[in-house]
Formats: sequence, C-alpha cells, structure tokens
Amino acid sequence: MNRKLLYVMMIIALILSACGGGGAGKPSVVRIGWSNGPDTLNPGLAWLAESYTIYELIYDSMYDLNLDGSFQLTVADSVSVSDDGMTYTYKIKQGIKWHDGQPFTAKDIAFSYTLYKNRDDFPTLHSYTEHFVSSVAPDDTTLVLKLDQAIPNIESRLVFLYILPEHIWKAYTDNAAEFENLEMIGSGPFKMKEYKPNEFIDLSTNVDYQSGRAKVDEVIFQVFSSPDVLVQAIKTGQVDMITELPNTSVEALKTAENVKVAVGAPFAPNISDIILNQVDPANCPPEADGGVCSGHPALRDKQVRLALAYATDKEKLIDVVLIGYGTPGIALIPDGMGEWFNSSIKDFEFDTAKANQLLDDAGYKDANGDGIRDMPDGSRPLTFRLNWPTSSIVAPRMAELLGEMWKEIGITLEPQAIEDDALTSKCCPALDYDLMLWGWVADPDPATLLIIPATDQIVTGYNETGYSNPRYDELNVQQGTELDHAKRVQMVWEMQKIVHDDVVYIIPFNYKQIQAYRTDRFTGWLDGETKLALEDVTSLMVIEPVK
Amino acid sequence: MLLKRLGWALFTILFVVILNFFLFRILPGDPARQGIRDPRLSLETINAIRVRFGLDKPVINCFETLNPIKIGSCGVNPLDTQFFIYVGNLLKGDMGTSFYYNRPVEEVLGERLWNTILLIGAGQILAILLGVIFGLFAAWKVRTALDYTALISGLVAWSLPTFWLAIILLFWGTNMGLPIGGKATPGMSSYPFMDQLGDLFQHLFLPTLAYTIIYMGEYMLIMRSSLLDVLAEDYIMAAKAKGLSTFQILKDHALKNSMLPLVTIIAINLGFTVAGVIQIETVFSWPGLGGAIFESVGRKDYPLLQGAFLLIAICVILANLIADLTYSYLDPRVQVD
Repeated sequence: MNRKLLYVMMIIALILSACGGGGAGKPSVVRIGWSNGPDTLNPGLAWLAESYTIYELIYDSMYDLNLDGSFQLTVADSVSVSDDGMTYTYKIKQGIKWHDGQPFTAKDIAFSYTLYKNRDDFPTLHSYTEHFVSSVAPDDTTLVLKLDQAIPNIESRLVFLYILPEHIWKAYTDNAAEFENLEMIGSGPFKMKEYKPNEFIDLSTNVDYQSGRAKVDEVIFQVFSSPDVLVQAIKTGQVDMITELPNTSVEALKTAENVKVAVGAPFAPNISDIILNQVDPANCPPEADGGVCSGHPALRDKQVRLALAYATDKEKLIDVVLIGYGTPGIALIPDGMGEWFNSSIKDFEFDTAKANQLLDDAGYKDANGDGIRDMPDGSRPLTFRLNWPTSSIVAPRMAELLGEMWKEIGITLEPQAIEDDALTSKCCPALDYDLMLWGWVADPDPATLLIIPATDQIVTGYNETGYSNPRYDELNVQQGTELDHAKRVQMVWEMQKIVHDDVVYIIPFNYKQIQAYRTDRFTGWLDGETKLALEDVTSLMVIEPVK
Repeated sequence: MLLKRLGWALFTILFVVILNFFLFRILPGDPARQGIRDPRLSLETINAIRVRFGLDKPVINCFETLNPIKIGSCGVNPLDTQFFIYVGNLLKGDMGTSFYYNRPVEEVLGERLWNTILLIGAGQILAILLGVIFGLFAAWKVRTALDYTALISGLVAWSLPTFWLAIILLFWGTNMGLPIGGKATPGMSSYPFMDQLGDLFQHLFLPTLAYTIIYMGEYMLIMRSSLLDVLAEDYIMAAKAKGLSTFQILKDHALKNSMLPLVTIIAINLGFTVAGVIQIETVFSWPGLGGAIFESVGRKDYPLLQGAFLLIAICVILANLIADLTYSYLDPRVQVD
C-alpha cells in the first residue's frame, strides 16, 4: 500500500516537474567560474574578496558602491546630518522584507551596527564602527547614528556593514563568531539557495527585491581549482563568465569563439610597491616592541632613492611581469580610484644616466673598483637585501629585472623570498630589511592607504618604510576630519605628491583586472566602466539572456 | 596476538597526535592576520581573535609559544594549556576550529573524506581489476606481443606524471562534453535522484580514469612478475602434468599465491592515497581531502592540517592492519603476531 502510494507520488512529481519545466520557460541561470569560494558566510569573519561578493548579493547595506567609486543610498530614502556632523538620521524605506518574509525595519539596522561595534573579534568590519557612539531606531523607519567626531567618509564605513536580521542573529550576540550562517537570510537582490563549501554557491533571484528584481533567475558561482581550468571552462561554455584569468592566457582566449576578454581597474584598490626602508634611527620602535632597524643607511638619503626611481623602467616591468596588462604606478593611491588619484603628478622618467649623475653628485663613488658603488665614507657598498613574500607570483621576475636595471647604476641586490608571516615579522615594526616587494589591497575610501606612511604608524607596524614627515602627519589628521569634499580631495592629492616626491615608495605598476565572459549567453555585462567587476551586483542586476 | 597489534596501532596514533600538535606550533603563522597586513586591524581585534582560537593560552607548561620560542611559567594548570585542551577535545571528537573556514575541523574533513573515498574507491577497484587481469594475461602469454604491449604500456602508465596526465584528460574530456570539474553540476539538488546519480558519474569519469591509469600500470607490473615467479614453481608443473586446464591452474593454484605482494602494495597505496590524490583532486577541482590539504598549506590553516594529518595517519595504520590480516587469510603460513 505504502509502496503504491510512493509510486503514485513519484509519477505525479515527475509530471509536475515536466510541466514546470515546459510551462514557465527555462529559468535563466548565470554560471560564474572563480578560483576560490568564500571563506565564511558569516560577514563578521570574512577575509576574502569572494565572501564580500556574495554578501553584496544577499545583504543590503546603507549604501551601494558604484563602479565609478560613488555611493548611493540603498535601504533609506533620505539622510540628514546634524550641524556638528556627528548625528546622522536615516529615513528607512517601508515595506522591505527579509528573505524569510519577516519585515525589515530600522531596528534591524540598529541591531546590526551595535553588533559590529561590540564584536571586537570581527577582524575587519568591527574597525568601521570606530567612531560610532550609538545607533538606535526610535521607530521602524528611523535610524539615528551618533558619532564621537565628525568624519568625511561615513559612506565608506557603512557600505560594508551588512544589515543582518535581528530575529535570527539576536540568539548569537554573545558568540556571533561561532555562527556559521548557512541559511544566510538577507534582504538583498539574491537569496541563498544552496551552498557546498569549496564547490559552489547557488543563488536565486529575490523577485520581491525592493528596488526591482534582477533579470536573471539564478546565479551560480562554481570553484575551479586552477586558473587554466577556468580558461578551459569558459572556452567549452561550461561557465558564462570567469572572474580572473592568468595574464598569460589572455591572447589565447581572445581568439576563442564567443568569448570576450574584459580589462579594467580592479574593484578593490590594489597597489603593488617597492618598499624602501628609510627609518631614521631616532624613530626606530623600542626594542621591547620589536624594533631592529637594520636598514642600509644609503636608503635614508633621498638622492639614493631618487636614483633608484630614475633607474626603474616601469614600462619594461609591465611588459614582462604583467604581459602588458597594467599601468605605470605613480602614487600611493592607484589610478583606478577616480578623483582621489592625483593625476597631476609627473613621474620620474626612466633615465639611467640621470640616476648615475645623482649618485655621483651625492658622493657614492665606486671606491674599490669592484663595479659597485660605495658609501661616501667608503664604509660599505651599495648592496641591498631585496625580500618578498613567497606567496607573491610576480615578485621573483620583478626582482630579477630590478637587479638588472639597478646594476646599471652600480647598485647590487641580494634577492630572497621569505615566507609571508616570517617577512611580516622582519618587516614591521622590526624594520629589519632594506627593500621589499609587496603591496596593499584597500578600501574605496583613500584613508586606509594614506594612513600607512604616517609617523604614528611606525610602531604599530603599518608604516613599513619608517618614513616620517610632520607635514604629512598633519595632513593625514586633517583629511580624516575635513567635511568639505573638495578640500579633502586637495589634501589627499598633496599627500600623494609628498610621498611621490620624497620617494617613500617606488610604485612599479597598477594591476589590471582581467575577466572574460561568453557573448552567446547573456548581454549587458558592465565592461566599459573604469573599474571591472562582472561578478559584482552591478552587473548581475542588469544582464539578461541573449535572445 | 591481534590485541598486541591493535595496541601498537593505538600507540602509533597517540605518537602522531603529539608530534602533530608540536609540529604545527613550531611553524610560523598567525590566524589573527592570515598573512594579511591590514591597517584596519587593531591590536584589540588581534587579541580577541587569539582568544577565540584559544591561542592566548600557553602551548604547554614552561612554554608560552614555540615560534618564536617564549619561555613561560611552569606552574600553570596543565589542563589550561593548549596541548591538554587539544587532547581533551580530541577525546570528545572535537578536532578544533579551522582558522580559515571558522568551522569545526571534523565537519570540514568529514565532507571531504567521503568525496575522496568515493574517488579512490572507484579508482582502486578498477585499477586492481584491470591490473590483475592484464598482469595475468601478460604473465601467461609471457614473451609474446601481448606481453610486450602490456609491459610497455604498464611502464608508461606508471611513470606518467599524474598532473600532466590529468590535464591532458581534462582537455580531451571537456572537448567531448564531459564536465570540467567538481563533484556535481551546481543547481541539480532538486532534480530526481537518478539524474543526480548520472551527473555524479559524469563528474567521476575523468578523475577516476586518471587515477585508474596511474595505479593500474603499477598493479599490472607487480602482478605479472609475481605470477611469473609462481608459474615457475614445481607445483605448477605438477598441476600441468595432472592435466589441469590453463584456467584451473591460474584460478586455483597460481592466482592466490601471486596476490601476496599485490596485497601489500594495495594496502599501502590505500592508506596513502587518501592524501595522495592531491594532484588529481586539484586538476579536477574535486572537493576531496587531498585538495583540502593542498589549500590549507597555502592558507596556513593549521588546525585543519593537524586534523587531516591525523586522519591520514589513522588511515595508513588501519590499512596496514587490514593488510596483515588479509595476508594471513591468503597465506595461512603467515601468522599475525
């Protein structure tokens, strides 16, 4: 009897599924290939960019970040700021629903901000609540956020503070770091359908999304463990888009049928740098804090740093290391950051003769005739240790090229890769190195990059060069509180100019993001903007199936 | 005497637990930073993360940390040190929390282990069957064209670099329309069971093929040479003289004896391949244990590696135990002692 019933049910189910498939039209499923899945679905704990990509799709935050770097309100209709700049009052939209049908109110927002503020074991999101005093919701459509000082970049602080449903998270306020959040109830344009760690994430479109639904029905992110496999996956059409491909595969993929390669600035500001240890012994962190300060004294001389800058052929580095997919690096703020990037700086031109002249004039002669210049007092040769983290793919080739370029000006290098954490402990705040090849990935707001060369960051370990300049420090504090946008931009520009002119860093290049998509499946990918992030919600909301 | 064997196996596992623990405390790495320097990270946050992973406690009495070596108080309560907390949790089946996934290690490894067992189970069975059959034919038809073909292809298959073979198969297979990686086509979980099973077989095909080719060559060569030895024995001559058919001689007299060396190799392979299919799993994005180990090394996810190493050690020890038992079954002269 039971078995019969089961058969009947199975047949009904089969008929139903057949009807469903035929009647409603095939759902449009976007398949995206990437080489890493999110590290965690709990927004408080994530490190990887892949995690944030998923959060952007499933959650709302107060602001959305556009591809041009501007922000727009998402769940609020309007915002008013008090005269002292310390109280923000948001009018929250009505009628928004969580994915489980519960109403979304200002109370959820207040709860989320308070949670981020209280969880100091949330590695990155907690830091955005630095100036928050309180966030309260006097009613369901009003959120009042109070700060301890006026700050110019509230948008970039709120953009990653994803709003969490209080009715789910309130049970975890004391141990939020242990909550795996596999259901991922959010209010964003996509809903969690299925998650298999390190295999795939399947998201379905939230048809009730407050500002209109996406045109596709489903988005699947699938992990492929090597970039070569990603390239093969898009060639054979098993995925519709890949978020990254090795620079070496670009040419091969350009000739593939129905595949378009897109190139643009990376979504998250990403800088690559040659780090010059120039710490003044007076600024060396105390021994108890780990200060060693063994840097080569010549690097404290600006003339030597200038000579290194003039002797660096950035075009060649880009051609060889990045196979042409990069732009020459100029400032601490990469050129993909729009108005924040100081486009007026004129870079040091590649000129070996000039570099040699600078060193000659400053007294760095080759005293013993071994082909290597020596300190003016003859005490030691200009031989610099050059280190980089073992995880870096580009650094070994760069080290080789820099060795050749700087040999032309009588400077030799002792190149050595060091395991990342070991290098961190040599680097900062120990300052136990001469030169390093490394980089930073930063926030949409320039403040996180600009803080790095500040004097008070030497002891915390972020000021990796040991650079110290009172004028820079002053500007750094000012830009952090300047509410007039135009004035702040001006300060940010001046700071970049100072870092460039003092050769605090040599920025060899800015990376380009390279992605590829199938032209025979979906149209409307946003590949013409300054920044390129086809996996971002901006593209996924607008693409539609090819007819 | 079996008890003595089991005792030794347990002792070895205990040794691995201790070694594993200290090995990963000597390596560099900080879960609070994950190799990322981030100006947003404050000291209080770093400390809070350390507390979450229990890294604020001394490693063991007299030692605060092992990398760098920092001498601490010897008078602390031993039960409040990382080592004894780890051992205590392990006894409860808790292998710690993965730095990277922020999930219990046993959960992450559990999912991965079954996928690996599926892959190597299918691969090993095929490799053993084909290896034994081809080896048998090669030995029986020794010094004929069949033997030479089998010998050469066996040698080639055995010496092929695994990753190379896997990539070649991947390019060939995906151009034939086979799925390129993973264990299942995403989004199929609501499909009928048979469709999902078919999908799984499609995904299994290429990695299993790669695995089978690599191991089949080895098994075939061992089978062939061991069978040749057996066939040269006097009792085979006697069997021939009795007028037994070729099939009877092979089946009843030669095969069982010539299986002995193969059993050893299979057992050792089984133990190690739990981890050793790293290359195949990586090329085919197979969500198995080998892939997990490979990724975790790069991510410095020490609790996960610690758990994985323990799991592998247990597998190797178990496989050896099973090999010993099978041995005495196949050859009653061998006693387990």
